[in-house]
Amino acid sequence: MTTVQHSGPGARRHRAPAPVAGDVFRATVLTKVMLGFTAILSIFPIYWMIIIATRSNADVHSIPPPLLPGGNLGENIKAVFEAENAHFLTGIVNSVIVTASVTLAVVLISTLAGFAFASLQFRGRNVLLLSVVLTMMVPLQQMGVVPLYQMMVTLGWTNTLQAVILPFLVNGFGVFLMTQYTRQAVPRELVEAARVDGASTARIWWNVVVPAVRPGMAVLSIQTFMLIWNEFLWPLIILRADNPTVQVAIRALNEKYSTNYVLVFAGTALSIIPLLLVFVFFGRQIIGGLMDGAVKS
Amino acid sequence: MLNSKNGGRPLAAAAVASVLTVTAAACGSGGTGDGTAATASASASAAAEKVTITVQTFGSGENFGYDSAVEAWNKSHPNIQIKYDNLAGNFESEYLPQVNQWLEAGSGAGDIIGIDESGMGQMAARPQHFVDLAQYGLDSRKADFPEWKWNTGLNKDGKLFALGTDVGGMAMCYRSDLFKKAGLPTDREEVAKLWPDWDSYLKVGQQLKSKLPKTSFVDGPVTIFNTLMVQEAGKAGNLTFFDKEQNLVIESNPAVKTAFDFTKKLSEAGLSAKLAAWTDEWAAGQKNGAFATMACPSWMLGVISGNAGEENAGKWDVAAVPGGAGNWGGSWLAVTSQSKHPKEAAEVLNYLTSKEGQLHAFKEAGGVPSTLTGQQDPVVADAVNEYFSKAPSGKIFAESTQSVSPIFFGEKHTQVRAAVEQVLLGADQGSVKWGEAWAKFVAEGQMAAG
Amino acid sequence: MSLDVDAGRARLRPVPPGPHRHRQSSTRHLLSWLDMRATPYLFVSPYFLLFALFGLFPLIFTLWVSLHDWQLAGEREFVGLENYTQLLADTKFWNSVLNTVGIFVLATVPQLLIALLLANALNKRLRGRLVLRLSVLIPLVTSVVAVGVIFTQLYARDYGLVNWLLGAFGVEPIHWQNQKWSSWIAIATMVDWRWTGYNAIIYLAGMQTISKDIYEAASIDGATPRRQFWTITVPLLKPTIIFTVIVSTIGGFTLFAEPVIFGGGGMTGGTVGQFQTVAMFIVKEAFRDFDYGYAAAAAWILFLLILVAALVNYAITRGLGRSR
Repeated sequence: MTTVQHSGPGARRHRAPAPVAGDVFRATVLTKVMLGFTAILSIFPIYWMIIIATRSNADVHSIPPPLLPGGNLGENIKAVFEAENAHFLTGIVNSVIVTASVTLAVVLISTLAGFAFASLQFRGRNVLLLSVVLTMMVPLQQMGVVPLYQMMVTLGWTNTLQAVILPFLVNGFGVFLMTQYTRQAVPRELVEAARVDGASTARIWWNVVVPAVRPGMAVLSIQTFMLIWNEFLWPLIILRADNPTVQVAIRALNEKYSTNYVLVFAGTALSIIPLLLVFVFFGRQIIGGLMDGAVKS
Repeated sequence: MLNSKNGGRPLAAAAVASVLTVTAAACGSGGTGDGTAATASASASAAAEKVTITVQTFGSGENFGYDSAVEAWNKSHPNIQIKYDNLAGNFESEYLPQVNQWLEAGSGAGDIIGIDESGMGQMAARPQHFVDLAQYGLDSRKADFPEWKWNTGLNKDGKLFALGTDVGGMAMCYRSDLFKKAGLPTDREEVAKLWPDWDSYLKVGQQLKSKLPKTSFVDGPVTIFNTLMVQEAGKAGNLTFFDKEQNLVIESNPAVKTAFDFTKKLSEAGLSAKLAAWTDEWAAGQKNGAFATMACPSWMLGVISGNAGEENAGKWDVAAVPGGAGNWGGSWLAVTSQSKHPKEAAEVLNYLTSKEGQLHAFKEAGGVPSTLTGQQDPVVADAVNEYFSKAPSGKIFAESTQSVSPIFFGEKHTQVRAAVEQVLLGADQGSVKWGEAWAKFVAEGQMAAG
Repeated sequence: MSLDVDAGRARLRPVPPGPHRHRQSSTRHLLSWLDMRATPYLFVSPYFLLFALFGLFPLIFTLWVSLHDWQLAGEREFVGLENYTQLLADTKFWNSVLNTVGIFVLATVPQLLIALLLANALNKRLRGRLVLRLSVLIPLVTSVVAVGVIFTQLYARDYGLVNWLLGAFGVEPIHWQNQKWSSWIAIATMVDWRWTGYNAIIYLAGMQTISKDIYEAASIDGATPRRQFWTITVPLLKPTIIFTVIVSTIGGFTLFAEPVIFGGGGMTGGTVGQFQTVAMFIVKEAFRDFDYGYAAAAAWILFLLILVAALVNYAITRGLGRSR
């Protein structure tokens, strides 16, 4: 199932609101109520978390529960960074390093491979592409956890960031996405023309392909960023408690300061903020990218 | 809970603190070698390069209470800096597996690790993971400790691998405000008279429940079970789940069955708040007065004051525990064989387990010192816990520990304990029927023992 | 998920050197020939190299470990299939499989149905459509751990918001962690909350590729909007639905973080394993009890289970609406 259009950021989708036969596209009252309800349900837990993060512990168990913000956000956030057993600041720094490295590497690897699969001819191409799709089915995280740990022990890399980063560079979805995207965005003729002009493959990739698939790279970056920022199991196993990623640090907060709700919630709110920012700034692109990706696969 | 320097600590008077710093300089009580080794070698290694010694501990709230001890050491030892790291709240299910994983892997563990008594059986069976402390002259410390505390630190090859930090002792913490509401006496002497044994303790619980139907009497099954089991073990050859040949005796040991039966009785009488120890709601229950009593070793005081918070200061009190003395918990420190600086680590360990280090920890978190001189020190003997209605905590706990005989812990004790505690919780909360609980308890224990 | 492998066009050969360029150096020709032949492999090699190291090798190694009584260091004894026979007789393992499947069904079926209806609603003419679309996606950017923390608080026995609400209707407080049904529901709602919006957006994308003329024709024939939804939209969305089912299957069968946080950080999944999933079982065996061989065997069985589940779900989804 493929479609002819793709939309770069800001490109208008083809849904002109022309009043055609319509009644299937008319929003009834019931529809509006349901949508409103869904939106509230989606936002409420996060709203509630932020409310708690701005209150004091004394407010938390009050009946009825507080639904408006208080004024303790600043001191709660300060307390999170001072909570010595959670190593929250280390967690943030580690997560930034890991997420940035993985995102950059995955985008680069996927763009290279995607171009080769989409626009170049070579023996075994189809078999290789099929194997990429198959690897998307394998839950490497759960399956490989014992041998990966054994590997890192043998290399002496336990508690290091490279041990967290390396396994995540294997991202079949990224290769697949960029293959589909390059197919759409880079017409064969363009590549051929560049060849006739005597450009090498590497030059074609750099001068022709990369500029054309930038929107796809952006979508992949955002998705990889979200995925890795939220990763929990592997860092939990390979890193020491005093050197966590942000997700592991929240769990530590949750465990060691369990009655200090405002602290736990302030930390959790802090961990979501980077992604919320990405979401606020690139929301439209994320939706566009998700929709593109879905239509193309 | 947040390492609040002014938080509910068992505070000795500030005057005592200043006296302590003076005596620290003139340390060495009766030529026991207590602390002298450290000062001597500290000057010797002064020329060496700077090393950092990582100390890993467990426990929630104030855990080991090493903040002030570490601060004092780091000030006076510029070349050996201590990094003190509390890794996890729960010893059995979080800290121990994690540390074991690092010991197996050969990297990741700190230079010094804290070990709870229930894990000592397992660690003693793995001599390869730890340094022989006698190499660094720490065998001279033998006279400082009660015999059982010392012997537990010897591994299966008879080598010294760990020195004691604190001892648990045993008492019963109770909410005097709730006792008052229920028309029960609130004075700790009189409260102790209410429950010379466990059956009378149960009766007090029923009285309280008839007056305050919404309040539970105990926190949950786990604390009561452990308390009773270690008390009863004294009558059963000091054994709990394993005998000295490492055979599982969970089914035949009367200590286990007695503790189980009483826990069941208490639960069926509807006196339990059904809370699992070390969870969030358990901590909240201490704060909100969800239950009126909780068995408490000395280190538990810091947990309660940390969890219940300043607003409840003076509502908790401490009385003698039913059924006489007992000891639950207490820890040891060991130097791992993966440490790159075993000599310096041994110096730090020597300091932390010295009378001085233990008194620092006592003032910070309430764990009673395991050194004999530490226990007799006026700081402990005269200590009054402000948070617990000025209870003479030092005296209460020291008395309960002196007559204790050491309990033997099998190699797989922690795994078995973690597994059977889940069954108790399940039965208390209703996911397991009490009628089937004992069979399940035994079966889970057998499975965990492998 | 369809994949059009190869566009199947005959590639143009590079322009042969014309007669007037007789003296063209042959080295350059060779270079360009090499470039044509070798560069594609060079471009795909980083992925496959990494895959070999951190994907394929661990998989094969897991198989190897699962045939041993494995220690990280020290003795490793070859035991053949013993780990597997023990595992298949282990009630705790099957309990974790049951939990995983149960939570998966409980989470996925309503989630995809709601997502379909939601997508249909979002596809209508509305003011503030982008805002609505963004708001249903907000849960997706919330980390799993955060979701676990927030919802575990909401479901707390003594002071949770959910029990407080139920109490307002006279319902006794429920101890959500205590029974299978209640813990499954609690965990399933976490999964649903996080993924429903995402799936709705995916379906929406699929809906927008459906030509309007079909609906117009149906309207003229007098089909109600509801009927149009079931007879036109859903059948035409089938490829997209299959895609979401497969993705949900992989996600659902590897469920880990939510139940871990829900149980207060432990790997046992409740007092009697009410909500221990297979992923938790694996981690408990490997990193709590140090039974690496056993954990590796469980990992392989999990992989097979995922394959079977994906195939079954694929078949079910394909068969949907066949009768129509």
